Amino acid sequence: MTFSADRPNMIEFKDVHKYYGDYHALRGINGTIKAGEFFSLLGPSGCGKTTLLRTIAGFEDISSGAVLIDGKTMAGVPANVRPTNMVFQSYAIFPHMSVQENVGFGLRRDPRSAAEKARAVEEALEMVGLKGYGKRAAHALSGGQRQRVALARALILKPKVLLLDEPLSALDKKMREQMQVELIKLQREVGITFVLVTHDQEEALVMSDRIAVMFEGEIAQLADPETLYRRPNSKKVADFIGTMNFIPCTILSEAGDKVEVDAKGLGKVALDIHQAPPPRGETPVVGLRPETLTLLYPGQTATERETAGVIDEVIYFGDMTYYDVYLGGTDTEVRLSMRNVPGRPVLDVGDKVRVAWSPEALVLFR
Amino acid sequence: MAKSNSAEARAGWLLAAPPAVYAALLLAAPLATVLLYSVLTGEKGAVSTPFTLSNYAEILSKPVYKAVMWRSLYVSMLVTLTTVLLAYPIAYFVSFHVSPSKKSLWLFLITIPFWTSYIIRVSLWRTILGYDGIIDSTLISTGLMDSQLNILSNGVISIIITLSHAYAPFAVLPIFVSLEKVERPLLEAGQDLGESKLMTFLRVTLPLSMPGVIAAVLIVFIPTVGDYVTPELIGGGKTPMVANLIESQMLKQRDQAMGSALAVTAMLIVGIVSVVFVLMNRRFIGGQK
Repeated sequence: MTFSADRPNMIEFKDVHKYYGDYHALRGINGTIKAGEFFSLLGPSGCGKTTLLRTIAGFEDISSGAVLIDGKTMAGVPANVRPTNMVFQSYAIFPHMSVQENVGFGLRRDPRSAAEKARAVEEALEMVGLKGYGKRAAHALSGGQRQRVALARALILKPKVLLLDEPLSALDKKMREQMQVELIKLQREVGITFVLVTHDQEEALVMSDRIAVMFEGEIAQLADPETLYRRPNSKKVADFIGTMNFIPCTILSEAGDKVEVDAKGLGKVALDIHQAPPPRGETPVVGLRPETLTLLYPGQTATERETAGVIDEVIYFGDMTYYDVYLGGTDTEVRLSMRNVPGRPVLDVGDKVRVAWSPEALVLFR
Repeated sequence: MAKSNSAEARAGWLLAAPPAVYAALLLAAPLATVLLYSVLTGEKGAVSTPFTLSNYAEILSKPVYKAVMWRSLYVSMLVTLTTVLLAYPIAYFVSFHVSPSKKSLWLFLITIPFWTSYIIRVSLWRTILGYDGIIDSTLISTGLMDSQLNILSNGVISIIITLSHAYAPFAVLPIFVSLEKVERPLLEAGQDLGESKLMTFLRVTLPLSMPGVIAAVLIVFIPTVGDYVTPELIGGGKTPMVANLIESQMLKQRDQAMGSALAVTAMLIVGIVSVVFVLMNRRFIGGQK
């Protein structure tokens, strides 16, 4: 989020199409990835994110359009001479080589002396936290260690772009969270452009400067994580990133930069035009994230709007409790989340409650 | 637990017994006989005591034995080399360039030569390679040559051509299996790290397929050293290999002791070469670092 938009372009996609026979895998990709950016391609499986990554690496030819890296077109440039390196989903560690042979694989034509190369390998291993593992057999490594070897093997070549194809999907949850933080730190340290492919929206939000959300071969939205989360440009993106309540509504009036809607259970709300992404001809709904709704305990009052409700379901998570609440005597049910801090007892199913919310948090999809 | 284990062990022995008896009668017993005969004295179709190592001494001292042993070794080594060099590209093609649904069809097609008896295939090679055979008549009628090549007259070359063709399918299969086990992302990784397709093959695919290559080497080398039919039919008996020599000692000279000693010597040589290859195989399998 500290990312500055005036950095030079590292990767440019210009109307990229890819067909596999009749199957249209990439449907006109446009966009730029900036130098030094941590960029994520996020989407469900089969959305084309891995195909797009592989067009950068040079493993897939594109049917039409252009991919540029650092201002140069990559048409006809084979993978082995592109200024990119990849961390594969399966890590692709060479099983017949030791850790140091794996890390030094790409240094064969490096003009440095053998001693200097060995030092470079040792430094790369140290950078990924595998100091002293050089002599180990590759097949004796754990999943996390393999991933680190794959990272060291790619970064030792100082690529302009590091491509990561779902690198954390094979790790358990704890290890994954740890590696997320390590990858962010590593990216800041080396300053190389990282392009990450993931289907895990949380992972993308945690790690990226900017994210391209992809559905069915198209980029649905390209934005920084906060914009993506707070101002998704479609219901589909909103649904894919985190949880969002969708409440049916009718549009009462639209004038200038104001839209007035009547949301079922919430009542009349005036929205700013920036809360309403361009219309798509869908049935209008307003979206609200669970954490933007608050249960009011006795003695508390809402700062903006307040709606009465009845608790339908209580889901206890330890640090949080999720409540499903019927709003304003209607069948509109919303999920809201409350942090379990002292003075906030967990409530019961059937309890009558008051829910505070802010029109600011609403997004209108139509 | 112990009880059921011993019951399982007994059942296991019972299951293994028939083939074990079969192997003992048809493999171990003749082998023991040959070993025994090799240290006896043979004359006129009979063997007699005392025990002696003179047969072995004769094999080591007489140049004709050494020459035939040596020929057997280098012919089978050349056959092995040619076969593996021919089989590797076929296996590579089927593994990497044939769509998965058609792979078994291809393997099936590779076995087609087996549908014809080996004796018939050998006779066909005679027709192809011989004086005024298919190769000669083609070359002469197209004007590429003006005299007969008569490849068949060169015993060693003819034997190598015939045996390489016969053993190629045996070599394709193990190499194919080892190539199938090479994970494809490894090849992309090789290229991603800056190597061309050729260098990726040399640094990744080839080392990882070595267990299959070594298996193919053993499968071809061991039986070809002792091949009897091919030198007899192709070389016209003029290019004998060790099996022909053993046959001549056993049946023509009627010296079974000498024949046995030759057989044991040949077995030892094959054994040593095979152990070397098995150790190399270990290095490549166990050596996956």
